[in-house]
Amino acid sequence: MEPEPGTGTGTAAAAAAAFRPPERQEQERWMQRALGTAKEALENGEVPVGCLMVYQNEILGQGRNEVNETKNATRHAEMVAIDQVLEWCGQKGRDRAEVFEHTVLYVTVEPCIMCAAALRLLKKLLFLLNLVTDIPLVVFGCQNERFGGCGSVLNIPTDDLQHSGAPFQCIGGYRAEEAVELLKTFYKAENPNAPKSKVRKKQ
Amino acid sequence: MEPECKKRKTRAISTFTWELRPVLSDEKLCEVELLEAYAAPIINTKQTSCLIKQLACLYPLNSLPHIKRVRTCREKNTDHALEIIICLLRDLNGTDVPNGEVSLSDLFPEGKADGIGLGEPFHVKIPAYQPLTRPQFEAASQHWPTTFHENKQVTDALQGRLFNAEKRAKMQTFMEKAIEAAKLGKEMGMEPVGAVVVNPATDEIIAVGHDCRNGSNPLLHAVMVCIDLVAYGQGGGVFNHNKYPNCHFKSLESFSDDHVINVGKPLLPSKDHSSTGAIVNGLPYICTGYDLYVSREPCVMCSMALVHSRIRTVFYATSSPDGALGTKYKIHTKKDLNHHYDVFKGLMKEECQLLLS
Ligand SMILES: [Zn+2]
Ligand SMILES: [Zn+2]
Repeated sequence: MEPEPGTGTGTAAAAAAAFRPPERQEQERWMQRALGTAKEALENGEVPVGCLMVYQNEILGQGRNEVNETKNATRHAEMVAIDQVLEWCGQKGRDRAEVFEHTVLYVTVEPCIMCAAALRLLKKLLFLLNLVTDIPLVVFGCQNERFGGCGSVLNIPTDDLQHSGAPFQCIGGYRAEEAVELLKTFYKAENPNAPKSKVRKKQ
Repeated sequence: MEPECKKRKTRAISTFTWELRPVLSDEKLCEVELLEAYAAPIINTKQTSCLIKQLACLYPLNSLPHIKRVRTCREKNTDHALEIIICLLRDLNGTDVPNGEVSLSDLFPEGKADGIGLGEPFHVKIPAYQPLTRPQFEAASQHWPTTFHENKQVTDALQGRLFNAEKRAKMQTFMEKAIEAAKLGKEMGMEPVGAVVVNPATDEIIAVGHDCRNGSNPLLHAVMVCIDLVAYGQGGGVFNHNKYPNCHFKSLESFSDDHVINVGKPLLPSKDHSSTGAIVNGLPYICTGYDLYVSREPCVMCSMALVHSRIRTVFYATSSPDGALGTKYKIHTKKDLNHHYDVFKGLMKEECQLLLS
């Protein structure tokens, strides 16, 4: 939508209305960086999943799996990045619902059921104000056949869950082959006797 | 008799106001699905084994290994004692059977087998799958005999006999702790939800937490708080719980050297219920073998966090509108996932409902 001539741009509402989903080229660029984070994780012996949370062209959160270090099995890349965004909001005194509504998550693997539910919960406030947008909140690489919460095992973003935040959009398949390759490399190294990779494409 | 007196004693303390119900998978709860089939009386019982052989070739019923091919006739005063399944209605696809009325010659193509010794075929309904629970078995047997490998645990759970009075009393004390935590959290402006993690092998409380979602992190639901407190107890952890003095954990030092964990016999057997690889430096891998008591049914995020954490059993009091352990989903029984856990609901239901009002 083009802004109508004569409308002001100074108010917060206008800024929110002017927010548009990132163009494909831009999505590719961020995904390239997320893949870089995943590669770093692989070099450090961690599950190679990388993610970024981008708000107005700025990376507010960047994460990789931290389950082993923290002994907390919920510390997936997405949860680590979400906490960084929450901290940023706290420091800058920003309204977190407004920030999350305009933040796009780029992640190399489809978020699991837990992370998908967490992302939904973070969209709560604006949903109540009826300011739902069609922004693809999540852009991901390969599917997560074991735990995927955005279509593979369950479909949390669009299921009917009226008390669990707001629905959101996902786009999958960005650089999926590279993301799968990283995971295959990891699982091969972890268990050289494994007959098959744990992540594979369902045919 | 000595046990008699013991029984009376336990009965005296077993007056609980709550009833515990297992939250089973849909397959375990569903009605018995039936298939249309043809059967016939065996008039000449000397032919029985020959008929079984003939039919095994002609109509092998490979997809129904649970079905007993022959049953004894239920009605008295008939000319036959046994009845045999010939085939499924769908096996006759392509055969011209007007009005579903068939004769033996329709069922036994010439030259292949003769069906000698059988009476007039009749219509029956037979169970499509092997029953998983005793109620399903009883319903299935009404139609046609099937095999059944009873899981005693599931039967006991369904009949409310899984936990004795002593166990129930312990469970109540753990849920009381969760309620207390919920109340303390409420006083701090939080959602009134409390949770307790217990090692059932020793009845030690590993962590107690309340909901902190109205603080700086909206994802700190009581379950997420408890998972992190368990991590602290194991030398890990992420969040700063100092602001919440009523969220606490059992520290690493206070574990005995030979920390026992009992993975126990699961209600819903699955591949990974074994404890192999679960113990690192004498401590379990995250929540392996532990039980969770929580005042209300966990959401999707929390239920999946418990899958990742390898919890053993979850006891909750009241259902939640978007709950993921029975209401909207049954994440703990989801086939595609690599860990499953048992769930029971109803523990101190009324007390926990009061919390929410
Ligand atoms: Zn996840
Ligand atoms: Zn929750």
